[in-house]
Amino acid sequence: MIHDKATFRAHLLLLSAAVLFAAPLVWMLVSAVKPAGQLTQDPYSFWPREWRWQNFADAAAAMPFFRYMRNSLLLAGGTVVGSLFSCTLAAYGFARLRWPGRDLVFGLLIATMLLPWHVTMIPRFLLIKELGLYNSLAALIAPTFLGDAFSIFLLRQFFRTIPEELSEAARLDGLTEWGVCWRIVAPLSKPALLTVGLFQFIAAWNDFSGPMLYLSDPKKFPLAYGLEQFVSSYSDQTHLLLAAAVMFTLPILVLFFIAQKSFMKGVSTTGLKA
Amino acid sequence: MNTGASSTRRRHSGRIVTALLFIAPWALGFLLLVLYPFAASLYWSFCEYDLLSPPRFVGGANYRRLAHELLNGEGFGRAVWNTAYYAVASVVLSVLAGVGLAVMLSWKVRGQAIYRAIFFLPSVVPTVAAAVLWMWLLDPGGGLVNHWLTAVGLPAPNWFKGVQEALWPPDWWSGRAAFGSKDALVLMSVWGVGNFMIIYLAALGDIPKSLYEAAALDGAGNLRRFWHITLPNLSPVIFFNIVMGVIQAVQAFTQVYLVSEGRGAPAESTLMLSLHIFLAAFQNLEMGYASAIAWMLFVVLLAATAALFHSSRYWVHYQGGSP
Amino acid sequence: MNVRNAATALVVLLATALLFWPDSGDQEEAVPAGRKEVIFWHFWGGDDRRVVQDIVARFNRSQNEHFVRAIAMPGNNLDLKLFLAVTGGRPPDVINQDDPIVADWAARGALMPLEEIATQQECERLREWLFPAAVDLCEHQGRLYGLCNGLDIRALYYNNTMLKKYGLTPPRSIADLDRIAEKIPANDLPANARPGGGNGGKRIRFGYLPDARRLWAWAIVFGGRWTDDHGNVVLDDEANIRALQWMTSYSRKYGPRTVTAFRQGDQSLPGKSFPLLAGRYAIVMDGQWRTRDIAAAQKRQQAQGQPVTEYGVCPLPPPPGGRALAGWVNGNFFLLPRGAANSQGAWEFMKFWSGFDGHEADAAQTCAEGGWIPVSKAVVDQPRFQAFLREQPLFREFVALAAEPFQKPTPIVPGAPFLYREVVSTAESAMYEDDPPAARVLLQRASENVARHLKRFNRRAATP
Repeated sequence: MIHDKATFRAHLLLLSAAVLFAAPLVWMLVSAVKPAGQLTQDPYSFWPREWRWQNFADAAAAMPFFRYMRNSLLLAGGTVVGSLFSCTLAAYGFARLRWPGRDLVFGLLIATMLLPWHVTMIPRFLLIKELGLYNSLAALIAPTFLGDAFSIFLLRQFFRTIPEELSEAARLDGLTEWGVCWRIVAPLSKPALLTVGLFQFIAAWNDFSGPMLYLSDPKKFPLAYGLEQFVSSYSDQTHLLLAAAVMFTLPILVLFFIAQKSFMKGVSTTGLKA
Repeated sequence: MNTGASSTRRRHSGRIVTALLFIAPWALGFLLLVLYPFAASLYWSFCEYDLLSPPRFVGGANYRRLAHELLNGEGFGRAVWNTAYYAVASVVLSVLAGVGLAVMLSWKVRGQAIYRAIFFLPSVVPTVAAAVLWMWLLDPGGGLVNHWLTAVGLPAPNWFKGVQEALWPPDWWSGRAAFGSKDALVLMSVWGVGNFMIIYLAALGDIPKSLYEAAALDGAGNLRRFWHITLPNLSPVIFFNIVMGVIQAVQAFTQVYLVSEGRGAPAESTLMLSLHIFLAAFQNLEMGYASAIAWMLFVVLLAATAALFHSSRYWVHYQGGSP
Repeated sequence: MNVRNAATALVVLLATALLFWPDSGDQEEAVPAGRKEVIFWHFWGGDDRRVVQDIVARFNRSQNEHFVRAIAMPGNNLDLKLFLAVTGGRPPDVINQDDPIVADWAARGALMPLEEIATQQECERLREWLFPAAVDLCEHQGRLYGLCNGLDIRALYYNNTMLKKYGLTPPRSIADLDRIAEKIPANDLPANARPGGGNGGKRIRFGYLPDARRLWAWAIVFGGRWTDDHGNVVLDDEANIRALQWMTSYSRKYGPRTVTAFRQGDQSLPGKSFPLLAGRYAIVMDGQWRTRDIAAAQKRQQAQGQPVTEYGVCPLPPPPGGRALAGWVNGNFFLLPRGAANSQGAWEFMKFWSGFDGHEADAAQTCAEGGWIPVSKAVVDQPRFQAFLREQPLFREFVALAAEPFQKPTPIVPGAPFLYREVVSTAESAMYEDDPPAARVLLQRASENVARHLKRFNRRAATP
């Protein structure tokens, strides 16, 4: 009896918190398919008077949606490839190789995570411009081939858990370190690589300030930045705005549901091992 | 003998070369994208530099200007206040919400996975979409949130459009507190607390059950168990949350830019340091001044982190003595 | 697990398909043989973009030497983009925008003055031809750094039906305006239902309510100025202070939060429609583009057989000692970045659009289509534009104001974007904060800030 009461209370609390957290998203999803008239005349009614899927087509037609989408995919894809390549190498260097000064350098790497991006923003910007990368997606992708501290840290933690004997055996079989890294350690670290890839994909997909700083040609805009342009010129057409926002968010939500476990695992690793 | 030593040395240097090759991409990135910009911006912070002509050394002029603005509460001073307000409020609330949600999720009830997904989901919603969504929900005139607040008889704040600061104490007892633009940003950040919540949840799972069982035998109630077992065991993660939360809050840019018409509206109430640096650098082309702010920001963050680390020995409880 | 794999495969498939999908839509028209391309950046969105495309197409048809390619740019971060375009690689040949950046970029040497592309004589003719406000908007240190192609003028729109209902007439002075604000009831409930009173009398309208940004206009109307004769910034001019005090009197009277909330309510009207049409005000200050909304609303009322609401437009009424027919003018203008490949073609396009040098008829059509105010009387006098004015009688009031000498823009000084932000933020502080410092203190502070900023700017510009 007491137990039941406690369970009931727990459910009540969880349920009300869940409603608060889910309501904004649910409201956005539902409103994105409402006809324009309903949003203006009767903005607080929950159910769409008619499920107007056309909103999505209209929003996509009001901007070069598929071009933005393609740019976003290129950007996110390039970022994933770049950071998996560079971060795996660096993480391997820090986790599986012994060399003097390693822990010191690793400390340095951890320290860079605390740097606010503003400090490096201006010189970095000028550097990119000098390299002739301004106004190309390469300005955003190229740096990912030079690694990022957070992902290296994450992979290093995972690589360290792989038994050293496996590497030794591979080396005896004649594999070089390069071979051990990509044929032995990397395949055994799929979950960690998946997590890093996901994080990088999402970060690139969501990035707003990067494209704002480095891109000027509307043909090269990714969705995150193109959407902002759409927002400023269609701010009076809420139904289109929401439809566009949903189309922008949906890929991330799908990714989340496909790879929920890797997500949460990745996030919790970052906290516990810090 | 001799050959053995030299082969060891050769193996040794060979190892270093291999290692260097492995970390080469990152090392290059570190030199090019971290160390050089770092040094350059430090130098520029003592210069006047508009990108069009070469930097001109002006000594501490930029820093004197910062000091002046800090004392007058203008420009930089305003941005410092706004940033501190946002950082403190959002970090405190994210700790509370993160711990609260994680504890609730640790109760063994049905549908726990679904609840967890629901709480986590907002943290992966792209910032641009979240900003659009919240500006719409928190619209002072026709927004859903104010509609419900009014319906239950509560005052309807102006949210993103208000200059008020509800969380600043002087307004608490005057009975005039109202949520303004920064509070709306705080609300938005609390909505995305999922990341930290997952970390808390993992930490909760690591607390040995035996501790609770022993406490139960001693007749400790829920509250006491939470206070004496859960909280101390979570303290390393709370510490992590505070450090990372402050760093994230201070660097927040996208949402600030989007909700403030790109200028800190209304009346500079959302002019955060990140936005102020951006405007100074890329709108006024005052690279020297912007670099000086960035450096002050860095120094303050460093100091805050160091202070947190220092204080942590008094309140962070590490299991088994090792972090 | 299978479901997940299938979903993953589907996502990968879709993504790949999208990446390799042939890029349909906005395929670029090739530059016709023997013609030189003119790259044209603009910031128009929505419906205006179509008008822009139309003008460009007309220009390209009229030409056999140049070919304009229009690129719609995002409105934010313009300074950075312009900077990069000018310093690195190939800048566009011509830019059209409406932010107060002319002096900044002229002082930085990034813009080409018209004197370098047109003859002295041509420039003098141009100055004669343009309305004074159109000259003001592009002039820096005695040279024209751009060509205006459309003016934005603000005036008061009033709901005459509503005014008549309460025995009021359009305002001729600030006192009239205050009286209207006083007399128009907050709602249609019986008189004893006061706002916030016990019987739920919620405020649904204001007779008039100043908006913070409109300090730009009211300061001039009150007789104020932003810079003195020597070019020094004087945001705290006595008349500016009086203007801000008057505006602030409204938020003191009704409460700053109420005022903010009500203003925001305007923003959330269906389709961002004109709050005057929604009956939220008896009088609103706005630009000439609203005449179309009014005409459309009246047509709707007619079609539905409802009584047609009567609307009017009047100049901003001055206080005693103020200025009649005054206000804040803004506009769109073309700028020529230095180092562009085809400035000559850009100049031809600019003339075509603004109407200078025999293009008056084309410009008249452009302005009528876009609902824009011409920059010259010569364009206004064109039959096509006169026909437009006959259809849109309210528009005539704005066109009349365009020729007035006290329609003043944001000062064309280096650092103007900073000055603009500072003035707007100051007015927002004064009107929306709970306990703001006095208007005088706020404006003094802002003035000092801007003066310091300008000093720094000039010092930087002085060092080569």
